[in-house]
Formats: sequence, C-alpha cells, structure tokens
Amino acid sequence: MAELAERQPGQGYTPIDEAKRQRLLELVRGRAMARPTDLAEDEVMVWPSLVVVEAVSAVVFLLGLIVLSVLVNAPLTAHANPNQTPNPSKAPWYFLNLQELLLHMNAGLAGVIIPTIALVGIAAIPYIDRSPLGVGILGTSAKGRKIIAFTTVYTIIVQTVMVVLDEASDRQQFGLGAVLKDAGMPEIVYGQMLPSLIILGAIGVLMAMVQGIFRPTRREMIIALFTGFVVTYVMLTIFGTSFRGEGQELTMPWNLPLEHH
Amino acid sequence: MRREQTLADRITGSAVWRSVVRHGYPDTQRNQALIIASNVFLHIHPVKIKRYATKVTYTFCLGGLSFFMFLVLVMTGVLLMFYYVPSTDLAYQSMQDIEASVTFGQLMRNMHRWSAQGMVIAVFLHMGRVFYTGSYKPPREFNWVIGVLLLVTTFLLSFTGYLLPWDQLSFWAVTVGTAIGGAAPLLGQYVNFLLVGDYQIGQNTLVRWYTLHVIFLPLIAAFLMAVHFWRIRKDGGISGPL
Ligand code: HEM
Repeated sequence: MAELAERQPGQGYTPIDEAKRQRLLELVRGRAMARPTDLAEDEVMVWPSLVVVEAVSAVVFLLGLIVLSVLVNAPLTAHANPNQTPNPSKAPWYFLNLQELLLHMNAGLAGVIIPTIALVGIAAIPYIDRSPLGVGILGTSAKGRKIIAFTTVYTIIVQTVMVVLDEASDRQQFGLGAVLKDAGMPEIVYGQMLPSLIILGAIGVLMAMVQGIFRPTRREMIIALFTGFVVTYVMLTIFGTSFRGEGQELTMPWNLPLEHH
Repeated sequence: MRREQTLADRITGSAVWRSVVRHGYPDTQRNQALIIASNVFLHIHPVKIKRYATKVTYTFCLGGLSFFMFLVLVMTGVLLMFYYVPSTDLAYQSMQDIEASVTFGQLMRNMHRWSAQGMVIAVFLHMGRVFYTGSYKPPREFNWVIGVLLLVTTFLLSFTGYLLPWDQLSFWAVTVGTAIGGAAPLLGQYVNFLLVGDYQIGQNTLVRWYTLHVIFLPLIAAFLMAVHFWRIRKDGGISGPL
C-alpha cells in the first residue's frame, strides 16, 4: 500500500518477478494495530481505563487493611459496668469535637443546634454558590488556594487561643459568662447567647479579613467558610482526643490515662 | 487454514459459557462496551468517560474507597453476626469468643473496626475533595445533598456499632453520646428515650442499636448510594474543568 502511494505519476508497473512472489499462506488471529473508533479525543473506554484504576486501588487498600488488622487489634476493655464511670468518659473520636464544644457552652447549643446548623449550611452550599466558575480546579483559583491557606492559619490560631483562654477562665466564656452570671442573668444569656455571639464574632472577623485582603467572589468566600468549618472540626477533634484528661482538664497527650492514648 | 482449538476456546465457546457471558474477549471496543453494558455490577459505569475522570489525583479514589469499605464492612459484618449475640448477658462473652476461639475471628473484627473508622475518614475527605473542586455546582446540587445524608448515615452506622461489644469503652461512649442527644432543646427528653429505649442504657438499648446497625442503617446507606451513583451518571459523569 505504502509503495503504491509513493509511486510517482507516470511511472509504470514493474513486471512481477515470479521468484520473489509471495503467496498467502495462512490467516493468523491477532490484535489489529488500529481500529476504527468512535471515541472523542478526550474520552477513554471505561474498560480498561477506569476499571483498572478501581481494581488496583481496591487491592492496594485491601492489602493495607489486612496488614493493619494483623498488626493492630481492635480494643476490648472490661465488661460494661454502669456503676463504674471511667474518668474521663469519652464519645467515639469522631464525636469528640462535639464533646469538646460541650465543655464551653450549653449542651443543647453545642450538641444539637450547632451541628444541625452546620449540616444544613453545608447542604445549602450548592444553592448559594451556583456559578459554574472554577469547577474541576482544586481550590478554584490561585486566589482560592491562598484563601484556604489564610483561613487555615487563622482558624488554628483563633481556635487554640479560644480553647486555652476559656479553660483558664474555668470555662466561663473567657470570664464574660461569670460576669453575666453574677449579674443575675438567666442561663440562656450566658450559656447560649454569649457563646453564639463569640462564635459569630470569630466567623465575622474571618469574613471581614478575607473580604478586605482578597476581594473574593462568592465562591471564594464560601471556600473561606468551609475551610474554617473543616479546620475547626479537626482542631476540636484533636483537643478532644489528645488533650483532655481526667475531669476533662487540658492535659498533654503523654499524660492521658492509658486507654485514651 | 483453521487454527487448532485450545481448551480455553472450547470453554468460552461452549453453550454454558455463552449463556452466562454475552461478550467476547474485551480486546475490541465492541466487546469492551458489551462487558460494561451486560454486567449488572459494571453497568453502574457508562461505556466511555472523559479522560480526566480517570485521573487518580482528581478524585483520589475517595468516593470509590468509601463504597469499597462499605462492601468490606458488609462482608466482615455478616461473618461477625454468626457469633455475636445482642444480649447484655452474652454480648461481651461473644466478643471474647470471636477473638479467642473463632478461626480468623480476631482478624474479621479488626478489619470491621478499622474499615469502619476508615470509612468515616474517607467519606469526610471525599466531601472535602468534592467541595474544593467545586463539584457540587449545578447540575450536581442534589447529589451533594444526598452526600450530606450519606455522611450522617455513615456517622450513625459507626456510632451504633460502637455499643455492641458491651465493654466499658462502648458503654460510656454511648452514655456520653446519648446525653448529647438528650440535650436537644424542647425535644431532648424524647430524643433521649428514642435512642436509649429505656430510662437507662440496657437490653432495650442494645437491641435497638443492634437492629439499626445490622439492617436498618445499612439499607438506608445502600439506598442512598444507589441514588448517589445514579445521579453521578445523570449529572453528566464526574465533574471536570469547563
Ligand atoms: C458513603 C458515602 C459516600 C459514597 C460511597 C460516595 C461515593 C461516590 C463516588 C464513588 C463518586 C464518584 C467520584 C469519586 O469517587 O469522587 C462520588 C461523587 C460525588 N459525591 Fe459522593 N459518596 C459518599 C458521600 C458523599 C458526601 C458526604 C458528599 C458531599 C457532601 C458527596 C458528594 C458527591 C458529589 C457532589 C459527587 C460528584 C462529584 C463530581 O462530579 O466530581 N458524596 N461519590
């Protein structure tokens, strides 16, 4: 074929040299080099392109899980005993963020109202930010990624300062709660309204700073808020799991009772 | 002219084989399409997808891993159910039996425990990946909401399982957890009773949480996942750069 194509016009056929002529001997089944395809430029077949990724990640994960499970045993402590309260008693680690929050304010606010608002807020994100800008790009834009970094640093600092300060004031909302309590205010004021204001304040300062420094789009502002939520969640979980000892006092991780290490 | 038939040819050419597998060896595009379309498990996938959707550094396989961990949990969970007895008298004893006398019992328990915790982490990270790539934007809003429900279901699955060993750790963790629920304004008392099924954590609580853990919540999760996966396809596959 290639020879035919290359032949110059006007050049005639060379007569067939019978000695060199080849006969068709056999048809062999094999893989064709090129096949007609209806795949677009940016598409691939799911089998094998995606199925291979899935299978390999499943196998790698399963091997990792088996190795972990051979090496580390799930905990089984003493038989449940309603008459013997361990000190500290802790929820499973993924709820320790709530248990930590609980130390600083009214239990209903920390354990039910705030998580409910957080979940409803998260579910509402796509109805608030509807612009298709930045889909498929991690952090939306260079600015978006800077906002993530900024918010992370802000939240880590504010969160740590708030927990430590509140602890220093005997968990009385930095002492403000004690003042209101002594002034004869009801619990709803110092246990619920005051902590809510403090939280809203911390969020407000974050939004104002992000607004002032970055002039963000709506999407980028939501990035700041979501990042603030995630970092808070992680920070409170770390405080709850690793820094709360007997009587839920702030404790260094290496001083915790053994079963909480 | 004819190639000799190998044993493999005979097997794959037999009437029994052809009745089960309706496609040839997947080295042609036609067969690669058929293998996806004719298999009930694979057909949650489309036949072809955008190249960027197969990039591991886009999804980090997190949604897929959450689902895979769920499958591991179902399988190891069923094995544990053969031995576990949801009674305050026998539960702890059956945990000890699983660990000490059941073949691979300890391994099954460990795998169940660690993938339960892994699933909580993976689902949370998956939510982060979806958020930071802006993949919740229209037309995927509803799937994001389904995702939030899946997150809550995952937490509940993990928490209901936590009580079952009936040891000090589980008993007091659940005491703390249900007290948090009981602090709900106005409804607290009812929420607490709903969770505990009694005035204190005991046999009623255990049966309640066991039932939720082994049948009710897994069904809810499977139902939500079916909707979740279906919607991914109906929303045009994995999101990508415009
Ligand atoms: C049990 C929990 C979950 C499972 C098994 C699951 C599974 C999956 C899978 C397999 C995908 C395909 C892409 C990928 O792997 O990233 C996906 C995509 C998606 N998930 Fe989930 N998911 C779960 C929870 C969530 C949560 C908590 C959210 C958000 C709150 C969420 C929102 C989404 C959205 C919006 C997509 C489409 C992403 C895109 O188009 O890029 N899912 N999910």
